[in-house]
Formats: sequence, C-alpha cells, structure tokens
Amino acid sequence: MNVTIKLVGIFQISRFKEAVHEYPSGTRVRDLVDELRISGPLLGIVLINDIHACVEDLLNDGDTVCLLPFIDGG
Amino acid sequence: MKYLTSDPAGEPSSILYSRCTVDFKSGKVQMEDIPCRNLEDVLGGFGRSFQILAERNISQAYCGENPLIVNTGLLTGSSAMTGMRTYFSGYSPVKESKKGLPAAMWSAGSGNFGNKFKWTGLDELVFEGCSPNPVYALIRETAEGPLVELKPADHLLGLSTHDKIMALQKEYDNAHFAAIGQAGEQWENVYFGAVTLSTDNQLKSGTDKMRFAGRGGMGSLMGYKNILALVAQSSDKLKPLTPAVKAVNINVVKGGGAARLQPISRGGGGGTWAAYDVLQVFHAVPVNNFRPQGNDLPEKLFRSQVEQQFHIKSEACHRCGITCHNNVYEMKEDGSPGEFLAKFDYEPLNLLSTNIGIHDAGLATQLIHLSDNYGMDSISLGVTISYLLSYNERHPEQPLLNGATFGDFEKIKELVEQTAQGKLPEIGRGSKRLSESTGETSYAYHVKGLELPAYQPETNPGYAWAIAGGHMSMGTYGLLTREGKSDLESWVHGITQTKLQIVGFDMIGLCKFFDITKGICTQMVVDCLKSELNLDVTAENIAAAVRRAFLRGLALELRQGYEKSEYTLPAEVWERPNPNIKLPNITNPEFFAELQKRIWDIFEPELARL
Ligand code: SF4
Repeated sequence: MNVTIKLVGIFQISRFKEAVHEYPSGTRVRDLVDELRISGPLLGIVLINDIHACVEDLLNDGDTVCLLPFIDGG
Repeated sequence: MKYLTSDPAGEPSSILYSRCTVDFKSGKVQMEDIPCRNLEDVLGGFGRSFQILAERNISQAYCGENPLIVNTGLLTGSSAMTGMRTYFSGYSPVKESKKGLPAAMWSAGSGNFGNKFKWTGLDELVFEGCSPNPVYALIRETAEGPLVELKPADHLLGLSTHDKIMALQKEYDNAHFAAIGQAGEQWENVYFGAVTLSTDNQLKSGTDKMRFAGRGGMGSLMGYKNILALVAQSSDKLKPLTPAVKAVNINVVKGGGAARLQPISRGGGGGTWAAYDVLQVFHAVPVNNFRPQGNDLPEKLFRSQVEQQFHIKSEACHRCGITCHNNVYEMKEDGSPGEFLAKFDYEPLNLLSTNIGIHDAGLATQLIHLSDNYGMDSISLGVTISYLLSYNERHPEQPLLNGATFGDFEKIKELVEQTAQGKLPEIGRGSKRLSESTGETSYAYHVKGLELPAYQPETNPGYAWAIAGGHMSMGTYGLLTREGKSDLESWVHGITQTKLQIVGFDMIGLCKFFDITKGICTQMVVDCLKSELNLDVTAENIAAAVRRAFLRGLALELRQGYEKSEYTLPAEVWERPNPNIKLPNITNPEFFAELQKRIWDIFEPELARL
C-alpha cells in the first residue's frame, strides 16, 4: 500500500518534506517513525488524514501521515 | 531559609524564611525570620506572595499600600537544573476586572539574579510605599546576614534596561541585577513595564542578552515606587552536585522532560520557536491580530527561512543544559556570527512580527530589541498594537494615533518607541482600556485584562481560567493542538486537574522547561528537595499545595470584582468564527457555556472551603 508522509519543522532536516512510501499491510505509524529514526521525545503530534492519531494506529492504502515535533510553551 | 524540621508539609512553621521589608514611608528596613504557614509558603514564589496580597484590600495598583514582593523558590540557587527563578508580585497596573479593581499578579524570570539574591541569605524583599527619589536597592551578604540598603539612582534615570545593568556592573562585582527600562519609569502611561534580569552571558559579553519577568506590569509597579534597579551581591554558593541531583539533571536534559527544547545541533527541537512550524500545519499561527488567513505568510518566520539570512546561536542561562535561547546574530560573509540582534522565542517573535503583519526577521529583531531594551512586556505591547492596527484597518477614514496599519514597519516602530517613552497611554495602558475607549471590544485579544500569548484562543478555552497570563498559568494551550482533545471531559479535567499544576513552577524556583508536561509533582522534584535541603515531601503533598495556591489565585480574582462572565474569550472568536483554522471548533458558545458550568461546579465548593 502507498502512504504519503509529510514531515514538519526539524523532522525535515536530512530527510524530506513530503514523500510517498510503499508499505505492507499491517504497517503502523510506529514503523514509519522507526524507519525514519525520529526521536520519541521529539515527536509531538501524529495526524492521519488531518485527524489526530497515535503511533500505534494502523495505516491504510492512500493515507497521509503527518509527523510534527512537540511544542512547549512560549 | 531556616530548616528546623525535615517535614515541610507536616510542620511548616518549623521552617522560617528570611524577609526584609523596606518601608519608604517610615524609612525603616526590617529583617525578620517568618515561620511558614503552610507548604505553599515553604515552596515560595507566588504560593507565598499571594497569601500576603490576599491580606490587603487594594483598589488601585498605584497606591502606597500595594506592595512589590520580590522572592525566590525553594530550589532557586540550588544545583537542580533551571533553579534560578525570581518572582515579582503585586497588584497589577494592567490586569483589572471590569469593576476596575486591579488583579493580583506575579511574573517570573530566569537569569542569574535569583541565585545571587538567594545566596545573600534573603528569601523575600517587600517594598511598601514609594520612594520620594529614584533609588536602587543593594542586597548583599554580610557576616551578620543579609543586608539591604537603598542608594540614590539618579544616574540610572532614562537608561535602557541593558544600560542600567551595565552601569551597575561597573560599581559592583560578584553581583547580578534586576532593572526596569524607560517604560517602567513612565509607569503613569505604561502599565506593562517589565523587570529585566541579568545573565552571566550579558555581563561577560556586554551585549543585551537578558531575561525578563514581563507579565502584569511588575516593572511599572517598580517604577511607581521609584525603584530603578536591584543589585544582589554575594559569593557563589552552589553546592557540589550530589549523585541524586546529577541523575535528575541528566534526566532533565536527556530524558523526555526538556529534550525538545534543546538545540537542534544536539538532537533537540530547537526551543519554542519550533511552534511556528507546528501551528502553521493547523493554520493556527496568529496573523494580523489573531486572524490566521489560511495562507503561507507565517512561513517567512520559520527558522529554516531565517537561518538563510542570519546566524542563530543556541545559548543558555548560567549552567543550564537545556540551552533554550535562540539568539539571532547578523551573519558575516563566512557564515560566522556578527552583531547580536535579538533572541527569538515564539511569543515575542510572533506578537511583534506575524501578528502585526511583519514577515521579515530583520524587522522583527528590531522590534524585539526595542521592547526588551525599553523594558516592556512584549506580549502586552504586541497585542495592544495589533488591536490598534486592526481598528485602523476597520476605520481607514478615521484611524487612531499615527494611522499605522498591518505591516507598516516604520509607523509600528514609532508606536513602540513612543509607547515606551510614555507618549502613547492609549497603547501603554493595554488593550482592555484601549478597546473600551473605542467601544469595539470584541477583537481586543485579552482575557480578564491581560493580553493573550501567541496561541489562538480558538485552540485554548483554558485561557479563561489562567490566573496570571494565558499560557504560563494554565497549561492547556496544547490540549487541542498537540493532544487532539476536543471533548468536554478532557477539557474539564485539563483545566480543573492536570493543567493548572503548571503554576507549581512559579512557586519552587524552577523554570517550566524543567519538565513542562509533568509539572513539579514528580519524583525528580522530590529527589531534589531531599538531596539539596533534606526535606521529605511527597509528590502528592506538592500537588495539593500547588492546587491550593492556584485556587487562592482564583479566589483573589473573584475578590477583586471579576464576574463569572469575565471568564471568557474575546467575543470575535464566536462572533466571527475563523474558517481557516484546521482544528475542531471547541469555542462555539454551546461548548463554552457547558465548560464554564462544569468548571465552576468543581471549583466553587473548593473555593468555599479555602
Ligand atoms: S530552560 Fe532556558 S530559560 Fe530556563 S533556565 Fe534553561 S536556558 Fe534559561
């Protein structure tokens, strides 16, 4: 299945802004995060098709996953 | 502090704090050791100062009976990372109820002043009345204990915050400084003057890398009292790092706690500036007076854009491994740093750039630099100016003041300078008063008289219950955006239980970035208190004390005339819902009305028992 991955802010450094990757069915957000070596404490928000989700969620063909860094106060 | 027990929750009166009261009316300077009434007193900060303020009936901020209370927290001056906070409390010139009564406020800042203050042996300094002449207070350690003296300060009059500190540094070695700028001196027409705190970096480099206790106009209250600066002079008394505190500090830096605020070069998130990129995904970066337009304008202030033109250096307060400051320098041809321009934190940056229609980092550094050096709260200043610009956009035929509009840098700069010089009370007295004078209050972005920080109110109904400013005294600003919570239960729980705990940091002397998500009711804090001070206290006891302190703040607001109807958001939020914000609408009138009911149902019985 094809999944569009969008990375925000610092996650783009040495990676990409947006890309389509192919995964086997049963892939979870966590698998993408591990594959991209995104650090756990820095990952703040996961969106699947613009809806808040979590790293354990299963992905479907055609999904768009957006990974955003944590934000903290001013 | 004198510790005659190791049980601060059970025997608070066996812990005494050292207070100095300077009474300008009688000319007396009195030193006392005061027994703590409760754990809140022991923890310090606003937990203690609000109990003092609650004993006063104050109907206007600028009166002799309104004290200025300067204090620290238990872990200020300790080897716990970020333990360097100073707190300034009093009835606020800027935050007021619709009845016109001033609200109690505190403001907190880092820098190294708090450490030095604590190391003099003093825990609290209270100024009563007003000095007839400009003075500064010298607090120093002596063999007999802390000593406070008043010194003439005419030579400091008219200097910027940074220049006051530099002038005092020439006179005092081994010292750190707190100072107001010209804005605080113009207290009659500037209600949101800030107090600036010196940093080691500033004193060593001679550049204006300061920290601020900005919110609520404590710098204006200081100016009213004719106190231009404080000097804390003492030897350094940092204890050797114990294994327990070392473990905590490593956890703060490397664990989840503050990793995200660390410099990008160390694998961190790069400080609060990162919020620009994140909020832009939801089109929730404030633009033109809190009206995001659903376009890419905010991206011009993304770090990745700015660092193409400027050199950005990660720097820190003294010995803090979090290193959250993003200092912006000119970039020389070889890419190395040139002149220091300004520090980019999310709030001041947004409110003095994108939210006033300025999308140029160089221009933003100029406005931040002016605000810092004149000594103003950049949040109140930026939001009051954005209100004015919004008014002028709506009334092109009869604009106010110099007719500035969004993005007109030269005119906005003129507004900033004239406000600081006391020439524009329309802006200097804040957005509540300005909007009441125009009769157009719906788009004045304040809650309870205090301007909102740079998180859209549509994303944070919790603002209404913040007791000392929107994001730092109610930690709900990420509940929708970050945690995706749009149901009533989560918001009731957040506001009344978990997220109010953020105020604990403004008691104990630690910076919020020590562990902003978990607060101070953690094993890390328990371990620090045991190791540094031999105090046995549980996380549950700390949580209960923080809750009582928060509720006392709420009770104090109600006593100062706030009606329940004032626990609300700017009306534009529901009168003109913004279709560009890509998040569930949790600020519609129905949701908010239910939220209000549920929250007061929980708070009211507790307030009655206080
Ligand atoms: S977290 Fe930032 S503001 Fe707080 S003490 Fe460390 S460097 Fe200073």
